[in-house]
Amino acid sequence: MALNRQIAYIDLTTGDVKMKPIPIEIRKLFLGGRGLDMYLMYNHIEPGIDPLGPDNVVFVSAGILGGTLASASSRTHIGGKSPLTGFIGSANMGGFFAPELRWAGFDHIVIKGRAEKPSYLWINNGEIAIRDAGSIWGQTVHDTQQIIREELGDRDIKVLTIGLAGEKLVRFANVMTGMKDAGGRSGMGALLGSKNLKAIAVRGTMDIKIEHPEEALEYNRKIISQITSAKVSQTQGKLGTPFIWGATNTQGLIRVRNFQLNQLENADEVEPEALEELATGMAGCFGCQVHCRSKYIIPEGPYAGVYDEGPEYTSQGAFAGEPGCRSANTILVGNHLVNIYGLDNLETGSMIAWAMELYEKGILTIKDTDGLELRFGNDEALIEMVHRIAKRQGLGDILAEGPLRAAEKIGKDSIKYLIHVKGMSNLHSDERATPALALGIATGSRGADHLRSRPAIDLYHLPESVLRSIYSQPVPYDGPLSSDYHDYEGKPWQVRWQEMCYEAVDCLGICKYHTVFLGATLPSFEEWSELLYYNTGLELSPLDIWNVADRAYNIERLFNIREGMTREHDWLVDRYFDEPTKLGIPNIQGRTIDRDKFKRMIDEYYQHHGWDENGVPRPETLQKLGIENEPSHML
Amino acid sequence: MSEETTSESVAKGRTYGAFRCLNCFERVTVPTRTKTHKCPHCGFEWRISWIAPDFPRIRGPVWDVNRRLAEEATAKEKDGRE
Repeated sequence: MALNRQIAYIDLTTGDVKMKPIPIEIRKLFLGGRGLDMYLMYNHIEPGIDPLGPDNVVFVSAGILGGTLASASSRTHIGGKSPLTGFIGSANMGGFFAPELRWAGFDHIVIKGRAEKPSYLWINNGEIAIRDAGSIWGQTVHDTQQIIREELGDRDIKVLTIGLAGEKLVRFANVMTGMKDAGGRSGMGALLGSKNLKAIAVRGTMDIKIEHPEEALEYNRKIISQITSAKVSQTQGKLGTPFIWGATNTQGLIRVRNFQLNQLENADEVEPEALEELATGMAGCFGCQVHCRSKYIIPEGPYAGVYDEGPEYTSQGAFAGEPGCRSANTILVGNHLVNIYGLDNLETGSMIAWAMELYEKGILTIKDTDGLELRFGNDEALIEMVHRIAKRQGLGDILAEGPLRAAEKIGKDSIKYLIHVKGMSNLHSDERATPALALGIATGSRGADHLRSRPAIDLYHLPESVLRSIYSQPVPYDGPLSSDYHDYEGKPWQVRWQEMCYEAVDCLGICKYHTVFLGATLPSFEEWSELLYYNTGLELSPLDIWNVADRAYNIERLFNIREGMTREHDWLVDRYFDEPTKLGIPNIQGRTIDRDKFKRMIDEYYQHHGWDENGVPRPETLQKLGIENEPSHML
Repeated sequence: MSEETTSESVAKGRTYGAFRCLNCFERVTVPTRTKTHKCPHCGFEWRISWIAPDFPRIRGPVWDVNRRLAEEATAKEKDGRE
């Protein structure tokens, strides 16, 4: 059955491997994926440990629907204490790894200790071996996967790996799979690197028994129709996620030149349609009908002829908007480099844009950059800095430490120009005109984050009746809701709702693009309840699934509080409040976030969660969710 | 299997052959294959791309026109506030 997959505990120091079943009681409380990983993290990571020391623990998992008949059940979650922020580390990626992991008999892998020499894990139909990684250490993300497949003699092996950035402990290194599927944000690649763990290879042929196969197939047919008929899915299938960058740049809702501007004017050559002209086709993840990933061959320059996949919104932001560049070729090259090095494109672009502003303000000099004219609009300098960060050379070594540590090393007024929350750089979007999106960025559990709670449909000007039908399920809500994205009223509930939405799909293992994230007509709690039942036999109502998400989100909050998080961390940098937007449509120009109103938003957001005025979960909240005795060490 | 979910109910309001103006949020119908179009409600001018023959999308602003309109609108609003 779909619920008989195990947890494997691997100690890289001793070489011990243990396996345990997952009790059904725990399943009902946390389902799997990110939710169960958060439970495990809170139980297995001791407070105050060094994130890059052997006491940190890596968690790799599939969602409970991973590899089943549920559409887009492809997602892999990677967790641990973040080397970037010191709070929760949590990354999520598509591709084909998670289904293969389940077919090999496992849902969760818990990795402790530190290998004496570079190693990789080989998981094959219920068996786990720790192997020497001498032949792959130092190799790119793409080559590592190929070498492992050749070494083990099976081209169908799926590999999760780090690149040079992870080996060099760049604090925003990714875990990667395939050509471009990235477990980004919070530096999980550095965590693997600190353990001398280059990769995890997996192959499985153990069937997952679907509990009600005919109904599951029939229901999935309905879901596929729902997804493919959505306009947002059709747009995404043609233009990929760059369509979001295009739409928001049109209005003046993106971050340009390290948040000094909010629109890249005359951006015709880097718009999604321009990138589409360079694409050779689209590709998709396991079980997905959207196919939002472009395939491309770099057209010119030193990398001409190289094949890769992407770029996503974040690569457009990192290699066009933020550094103020207007070359599609630069986007494709930058995207390729972060793919092969295993770098977080968002953090990389943000760090370089910040350094460019420091250079233009004279805080960094040409001596600091080893002769590089690190100015906005300098494509060559931008690309060169990607190499230097991955290799930790010169200024790149400082930037590789992430926002707060780099600011401390550079000193002067450099911290004043950082755009971050909780020590993690913001998405390449500008939320000064959109308080709901700003609240999501400020309160995201892993740092500045658009993938933990962003109510993106707030930008669509949907009628209040539509908003109410979405946001009053499965928990009744009769408070204010507004179609105007400038409003502060009612938005905290939208952020709270989206948090539960994204946490829920991260537990199920389904892609966020198949939810009410970018499209109001996409599946939600009601559909997931049915999917869960037909595929696994678990009977959880939409409200039960909401409660699973709430439980996991509160565990994340408890973890962060245990590591020193306070209300002050749920806040934005001064530029949001003090420097009005300069460009874009009239609706967007001249906007800042109002400090007092924003404080009240946070109060309301805490109240919706059942947290006190400091953002600490109230005892009755934890009791209601049945987590008042955590960490309980049941697993 | 339930009959109609919230998402399905919301989907009934979907329209084709039109886009929502990103400045004034009014729905604007455009002739097929049009490449630029001025919003009849607010005057903003957009470059249009087509996801499908009945599915237009705003590709971006006509930069110089919209910059001028935005500056005028902002100046007017500023005057009003003063």
